[in-house]
Amino acid sequence: MTDNAAAVPAAWSRARPAEGDRSGRARMAIAILVALLAITAVISLGHGASDASVWGVVGDLLARGAGEESTMSLRDRVIVYDIRMPRTILGILIGAALAVSGAVMQGLFRNPLADPGIIGVSSGASLGAVSVIVLGGTALAPFTAIFGVFALPVAAFVGGLAITLVLYRVSTRSGRTSVATMLLAGIALGALAMALTGVLVFMADDRQLRDLTFWTLGSLAGATWPKIGAAGSVIVAALAVAPFIARGLNALSLGEATAHHLGIPVQRLKGVAIVAVAAAVGAAVAVSGGIGFVGIVVPHLLRLLIGPDNRYLLPASALLGASLLLLADAVSRTIVAPAELPIGIVTAVVGAPFFLWILLRRRGLLDL
Amino acid sequence: MIEARNVTVSIGRKTIVADADFEAPPGSLVAIVGPNGSGKSTFMRALTGDLPFAGAISINGHDLRNAKPWQLAAMRAVLPQSTVLSFPFTVREVVKLGLVGGRSGALAGEQERLPERALAKVDLDGFAGRFYQELSGGEQQRVQLARVLCQVWSPVLEGQPRYLFLDEPISSLDIKHQLVIMRIAREYAARGGGVVAILHDLNLAAMFADRMVVMHRGRIAAAGIPREVVSDRLLSHVFECDMRVGVPPPTGTPFVLPQTAS
Repeated sequence: MTDNAAAVPAAWSRARPAEGDRSGRARMAIAILVALLAITAVISLGHGASDASVWGVVGDLLARGAGEESTMSLRDRVIVYDIRMPRTILGILIGAALAVSGAVMQGLFRNPLADPGIIGVSSGASLGAVSVIVLGGTALAPFTAIFGVFALPVAAFVGGLAITLVLYRVSTRSGRTSVATMLLAGIALGALAMALTGVLVFMADDRQLRDLTFWTLGSLAGATWPKIGAAGSVIVAALAVAPFIARGLNALSLGEATAHHLGIPVQRLKGVAIVAVAAAVGAAVAVSGGIGFVGIVVPHLLRLLIGPDNRYLLPASALLGASLLLLADAVSRTIVAPAELPIGIVTAVVGAPFFLWILLRRRGLLDL
Repeated sequence: MIEARNVTVSIGRKTIVADADFEAPPGSLVAIVGPNGSGKSTFMRALTGDLPFAGAISINGHDLRNAKPWQLAAMRAVLPQSTVLSFPFTVREVVKLGLVGGRSGALAGEQERLPERALAKVDLDGFAGRFYQELSGGEQQRVQLARVLCQVWSPVLEGQPRYLFLDEPISSLDIKHQLVIMRIAREYAARGGGVVAILHDLNLAAMFADRMVVMHRGRIAAAGIPREVVSDRLLSHVFECDMRVGVPPPTGTPFVLPQTAS
């Protein structure tokens, strides 16, 4: 070190990040992602089969903010605020829920390929939801009578949680969870749930079948304010857990024993994380069906960009997941306009090759 | 002081460690030696609170069974044999994980540069920005030691001595770095902390340890200062091969040679 370097004021040298410290970059990325989400939200509001435009929406939002009279037509206003806005908000909630659930599962299993879709949580949630769709008028009539509009999300949550708890019982011996057993048991339980779902589909009548098909492919088209209230409250509650488990998940990446040595109550951490993921995934699946790959693609991209520190990865995943899902939804709404493609097809077409790319790039990841 | 009385550890139906009595006083380096499968690592996992056991273990007078994870983390740090990371952390990020519990005991001003200082100690200056997964096995082992040192940076916190548990800390290191690590352990003990290390190299153990504990088939076969413990008969019996112990006059530190010809 030269004399000049020593003369640099202390504040300066503190501003320069220490080597290997990516927290400054992560904060910057989060700020950019907030801006990105704002932009995609406006695009989502201003984009669709009708001609209410992006600029019209921006102008209207600004005018409302200033307390001025809007220049937007009544028809456009109905489209934007009653049709598009619930859909945009639902897209943000679902995208955030799926991406954060993926990141938390990956932290929990110490494997970047873990995902609620892979270990069967989504299949369990689907089974719960399909049960309500098919049997809601007959065998499960009392259930739907009690829960009303909440019947579908509650059933999906119960299905997702049931699979997760069975998994936990199967793979935990004397307080320790085996990741390999959990992944493999998850595949088996997921297959079982899908088989049972198949039985229900077999029993379904024509109208239910059409509901099921749209629902299975995944779509934000059913967005209504009551649905957002039901699913949104569960998702927000589940995501609120994330800041409290981020440090624990970081320690867990060194292994369960080392996390314990560092002072983390590992079993409690795992329990909290699992319930939060089951709740978020259950609620997301209930309103929007099977939207795949968001939980794998988003955290993986962000780890390349800002590193694996969960204190930044989890909020960044929520933001990027929301933005990407809004973009995918915008594509799904316009690519075959005036009809619309289920969004699950869009995310799968983009996500599946991406998943393969990760696999090929880092073949060693599945060695547990 | 770490004290174990009548400790028995079973995994499934198999008893791995039986009736072990053990002490590790602050200010000293205790080496646990013994052949493969003699129960060294299992015994250490009981001492660190990772395995259920029968008997009694206390650390600074606190019953291990009643201690919360964060309380234990303030009293002891543990270096495992090896650590595999599945995410691309930088070396600095890994070392900083040692500060998760927030009880390093370093002064407020020191805290921010602690990862760098710990890395310098283990002879990894300038490695902070590298990716952990790209390092060699020996370098990774030293990064983990730097993390462990951050966790219990000051050997004594609020009047209570703290302990380092090292499971084969030098098994993947070259001779120079074996000595670097053993000196760090020595110095930690000299400053009032306690060190318990599983070692395979009997000569380094005899050279650096204040006390040696020899394990054989799940039991403690001998314990005491190196000069008492390191003997032809005991070692040949425990390790099941012929050994000769010599004591060169200037240091009085015994050294061990296996008799390969017979």
